[in-house]
Amino acid sequence: MVAANPAGDAGETYFLRRELVNELIQALATDDREVIGPRVEDGTIRLGPVSSAVDLPRGVGLDNAPGKARLVERGDDRLFDQPVGPDSWKRWTFPPRVTQAVWTDGDGTPAIERRLENPPRQITKKAFLGVRACEIAALRVHDRVLAQGPTPDRDYAARRRDNLIVAVECAVAGGTCFCASMGTGPEVRDGFDLALSEIDDGFVVRVGTPAGAAVLAGLPVNPATDAQFEHAQASAARVREQMGVTLPTDGLPERLIAAADSPRWAEIAERCIACTNCTLVCPTCFCTSVGQRSDLDGQAASSERTWDSCFTLDFARVAGGNFRTRVSDRYRQWLTHKFGTWTTQFGSSGCVGCGRCITWCPVGIDVRDELMAVAPPPEAAVVARPMIEALPVVAPLPPVRHEQHGTPPVKTTVVDTHRETHDTVTLRLRTDYQPLINGKPGQFVMPSLPAGASPAISISRFHNDGFSLTVRAAGASTARICALERGETLTVRGPMGRGWPVEQALGRDVMVITGGIGLAPLRPLLDWLIANRDHIARIQLSYGARTPGDRLYTAELDTLLLSGVIDIAQTVDRAGPEWLGRVGVVTQVIDRIMCSCDKTTAFICGPERMMQATVDVLHERGVPDERIWVTLERHMDCGVGLCGHCQLGRFFVCKDGPVFSLAELGPAFGIEGL
Amino acid sequence: MSVTGIAPHPRPQPNPRWATPRRPRVGVVKFSSCDGCQLTLLDMEDELLAIAERFDIVEFAEATSNRSHGPFDVLFVEGSVSTDEQAEEIVQLRRQATTLVAIGACATSGGIQALRNLGDDDAFRNSVYPRPEWIAALPTSKPVSDYVAVDAELYGCPISGRQLLELLTSLTVGRRPQLPDEAVCAECKRLGNTCVLVAGGESCLGPVTRTGCGALCPSFDRGCYGCFGPREAANTVSLANWFGEQGKGGSEVAREFAKFNVGAPAFRKIVERER
Amino acid sequence: MEEMSLTETASSQTPPLDDNLAAAWLTYSLSTATRGKLARMGRLATLVTGEVLMREGDPSDHLAIVLEGRIGLRVRVPERGPITILTVEPGDVVGWSAVVPPYRATSTAVALAPTELALFDGPPLREALASDAELAAGLYPVILSAVSRRLEGTRLQLLDLFSQRWVEPW
Repeated sequence: MVAANPAGDAGETYFLRRELVNELIQALATDDREVIGPRVEDGTIRLGPVSSAVDLPRGVGLDNAPGKARLVERGDDRLFDQPVGPDSWKRWTFPPRVTQAVWTDGDGTPAIERRLENPPRQITKKAFLGVRACEIAALRVHDRVLAQGPTPDRDYAARRRDNLIVAVECAVAGGTCFCASMGTGPEVRDGFDLALSEIDDGFVVRVGTPAGAAVLAGLPVNPATDAQFEHAQASAARVREQMGVTLPTDGLPERLIAAADSPRWAEIAERCIACTNCTLVCPTCFCTSVGQRSDLDGQAASSERTWDSCFTLDFARVAGGNFRTRVSDRYRQWLTHKFGTWTTQFGSSGCVGCGRCITWCPVGIDVRDELMAVAPPPEAAVVARPMIEALPVVAPLPPVRHEQHGTPPVKTTVVDTHRETHDTVTLRLRTDYQPLINGKPGQFVMPSLPAGASPAISISRFHNDGFSLTVRAAGASTARICALERGETLTVRGPMGRGWPVEQALGRDVMVITGGIGLAPLRPLLDWLIANRDHIARIQLSYGARTPGDRLYTAELDTLLLSGVIDIAQTVDRAGPEWLGRVGVVTQVIDRIMCSCDKTTAFICGPERMMQATVDVLHERGVPDERIWVTLERHMDCGVGLCGHCQLGRFFVCKDGPVFSLAELGPAFGIEGL
Repeated sequence: MSVTGIAPHPRPQPNPRWATPRRPRVGVVKFSSCDGCQLTLLDMEDELLAIAERFDIVEFAEATSNRSHGPFDVLFVEGSVSTDEQAEEIVQLRRQATTLVAIGACATSGGIQALRNLGDDDAFRNSVYPRPEWIAALPTSKPVSDYVAVDAELYGCPISGRQLLELLTSLTVGRRPQLPDEAVCAECKRLGNTCVLVAGGESCLGPVTRTGCGALCPSFDRGCYGCFGPREAANTVSLANWFGEQGKGGSEVAREFAKFNVGAPAFRKIVERER
Repeated sequence: MEEMSLTETASSQTPPLDDNLAAAWLTYSLSTATRGKLARMGRLATLVTGEVLMREGDPSDHLAIVLEGRIGLRVRVPERGPITILTVEPGDVVGWSAVVPPYRATSTAVALAPTELALFDGPPLREALASDAELAAGLYPVILSAVSRRLEGTRLQLLDLFSQRWVEPW
């Protein structure tokens, strides 16, 4: 027996005798590495710390079916002949609860510790033992979503790096597995440091990286024989045949997105309990929420990021409403996102075919059946193109640098406050932070006070020394912000989002149509338009409000009206006798004007129903979709595309928007409950 | 611990709804109940002193001999309304309270005593009491919200001390209390509990029950009793159908739901359907 | 009726009103012939600010097309005073109830600014519509579409989209 030293020989294949698994585990555990692997626990297969081979589920199988998972005692020696249990590796790379920031004021000196953005330097290194092919794909999907976007999740990156991945190639197909349909398995192709294929008397071990090779060094392994290698391959091929293809995926994303109005969604809602189990066991789901905790005296507060799910009621809630109250809408969101719009957002399917959502659904709903019913493939399609073929091998994660995030919290000082209406206040804030001063019209910030939630508020004006925010007291946190006085401080993150495309106004007629507090995000645009008046043809502002007392910036509007620089038509829904202006809906300010509007650019902001009615009128007037721009509102917890709450179809309203053209949105605009 | 060097923030402001910066007046009253929810407040030994300092507890028969009929800034009401006197009293108390919080299964759904709502109350009385005419009670046990407008509800049998503290804290700090309306399953999965339904074939009402207890029972390998009541969009019909498909008879399924929150429509519906 | 003291412009009947009607969006799509017939039945009138054209509940004796200015439609709400629920802008019709039974004004119409109208007396207009099929076929559809537009607008107003409720009890 030769102790091979394959350091640096990735691609080499060895054979590890069955009785040496314990040695492998000890080798993995060197340098204080924690080994996590499958174990029998609580009547099922769970992932947890593994200190020796005895901990592994020897001779145990798991019978997975929709809504059922039963352990099976086979009594043989095989260690890994079971499909995945409810745990996925995201429990360690993307934990259920992470403290985001801690604020203390014990001795009068407030301190804020931002833990999510500055992850603890000492995260225990881990070795994941028993990572299936579908799970490797899931880790890569998470890498793409969490670490390779414009604002990487540093906590995830820190937890993901330095982990050893010891893959295991499945030798049995689970009852709900469909990795073959999704193109993620059962063969383990790459993405591992070591890959084990269990055969009768041991394991064929493939080395994937020098780190994997280093683990093997010192273990008495021989190169694998051809027979052993072929045995391993045959095993994987058998699994593939057993599993079959139960979900043809060719063209699935397009068909799914087009099935928004299918009656099947309502049918599923009769069975679905919206219990969130499917999303929480799913290895690729990433939606989170930020919650506040504080002590009774206000001496200490913290914010915590927890796993959330698009199935909860509060997921799509905003001040003044909720975009997805029906369970059918929530189910549609999950399935269409996972199998459809995820592809546009991240370049691959979100589903890896692990089958956990099918097994752990308390009422046994099978997503494959639902997909086939909602978006049936055309007759000819049988076997499909796999949906994750384009994912690259594990890309190097960005190094964790303990520096400021993309949108660091900035302290601003309240310079002036002005009450606009009974519940709306404009705060003028001073700051030196250049990105905020140089922000674009239409961008927003996320202000917060200690122990308070952080709403998304549009910037309502830029100044040389800061900016203004117009805030409505819709709940306790915004009420506190509205109550700030001169000299007090407000912490702000931003600017965020994509602003109004001001260059689209040049050389054209411009219509700005808005209502209520919707004038606030448009005010910086109006400032810009007025500053560049000479390069723009006609500018028309149509502004609607509930009553005359609910209008913003009334004094400024009066001055502007008198100056004649722009045309202003104001209207209210109803008024008392002292109002001599227009009463009626704002869409009817523009619907009967005789103009050829194909050279017009329109900018709209307001409740979505109002924007829709306005868009209908603009279409009648001939304004094309590429030149109708709207700004959308959705529930936002992070503002940077990580918490998942603000999704609309394939868009993240926070980072792809909040400003969109109607041409971009396409059918996503105006569908109820999307 | 790294400090980012941001200059001092002002202290959190008291709730803007309260005009004066005095200690808020708090009352705790009881209707038809076992007392367990009030006890939850007293059981919070570590925080009790801080609470007593922050709040002026003017009425809490179990804890203090101070008595008051109001006015209250916050009034906690435990227990269901099951007599005429209680029905009148709750209306009086509502007038005295700025914020009325119903606490516990009895106050929010009628409690386990709401089982009598489904049956023949006269027949029960006649069979149990030698002199049924001496029992002066309404034939139903109803939640507080059936009689007056309620500003907030804490669920559970008993309520969770942590949720009570969260409510009190949010009142003083000035933010929305984090009382999520989601299934117990969400908490089980975050905690890493193994699902007793899927892995063990046991009955568990977790998928249709509101969380708040920290998934207490499933954490000890026991199915959820539903003591925090049905959550929003609780699809009890689907779960009851599933129980039936797994071989449970109709009356067995009914018994699952005929417990602490039988008065809640989503649970009651199944009991009546399976009878 | 007695409170309406419209100032009527010199009543040579056809050409000026015809041009006005051609420019108003309500009537610009009528055929020249129909528009001409209509023009001959009407006259120009002006209202000063605050002048009432018709009162809610009274018999509706006039149909008018606003040419310039603004008419406010008000309804009585005793506890709240008069509420303006709509304004009629140039090009739009006020008093369509004059050609729809029971010929009763559904709101009080008051001028909110100096206003010029194309004014039509109710009874002769109704007679003309009953006897002249071509006029009826031309006029009723445009009135119906104006009322339909108003109904659409009312529905959006009814939705109270800008209502700002205090979301939490805290």
